[in-house]
Amino acid sequence: MSQTQNSAPVNYMQRMRDYYLALGYNNPYQWAHNADVPFQALTKPVRASRIGLVTTAAPLKPGAGDQGPGAPYNAAAKFYKVYAGDATRDDFLGISHVSYDRDYTTADDIGSYFPLKALRSAKADGHVGELSPRFCGLPTNRSQATTLNQDCADLLAMLQEDEVDLAILVAN
Amino acid sequence: MGCAKDIVEHCGVPRFVFSDFPLGNAAGKPHDVESQRQTLKLALQVLDTASAPRTTLTSPQQWSPDTQWKADFYRIAKLSDEELAQRRAEFDKIKAVGKEVRDQAEG
Repeated sequence: MSQTQNSAPVNYMQRMRDYYLALGYNNPYQWAHNADVPFQALTKPVRASRIGLVTTAAPLKPGAGDQGPGAPYNAAAKFYKVYAGDATRDDFLGISHVSYDRDYTTADDIGSYFPLKALRSAKADGHVGELSPRFCGLPTNRSQATTLNQDCADLLAMLQEDEVDLAILVAN
Repeated sequence: MGCAKDIVEHCGVPRFVFSDFPLGNAAGKPHDVESQRQTLKLALQVLDTASAPRTTLTSPQQWSPDTQWKADFYRIAKLSDEELAQRRAEFDKIKAVGKEVRDQAEG
């Protein structure tokens, strides 16, 4: 069987523009672009820092249909407010509400998109100082204004309340 | 941590660990604890070592020797007009549901 080999990353923006144009939508999505990107140097090493995990995955929403592994794109499972989850538990979080690659992956292992267990192991091995007892959920809102002005502000407040030194965002 | 290099870099973030995996696997390969451990290790590493914004660390891991998944994502070349129309109808439905959920959330 022949194999395709391509080491270049997928050009997702072009691919998605072409796809939705082909579907007949004539208003291609404008991805966020920041000319200036903030940067804060660490004041202490990661092994001495308190870390907060931020995810775009969604908690199970009762009555919103299939949200599990292999579920079709499920807009009903979307959420529109920043939320906090208990990082000492292992509750279900799904990504049925976003466009992941449903042909080649099924989201049947939460560890592939939500590295809480890996973080706990890193903590146990002394690679991180401590974990925040809460993780944060960030909506995948189409509106950049809402993301910046509301969701990011809510997220920052939550992380500050949790007194984390560092946040790791895992985008889906 | 993410799998869409162009989107994240277009947006601009302080530090980024890029895994060249199908979307949905930003934290490592499914059912592969070692892959997930190594991916997180890179995230911790880039936190410790980056000295300027837009620092990207690329994971050396490969999803599979076969990279057909890259060609197949949102591929339109082989879709008939009928299939395109069907996908458009499905997406319109998704958008309508999303709007309803958003309107409810915003009260």
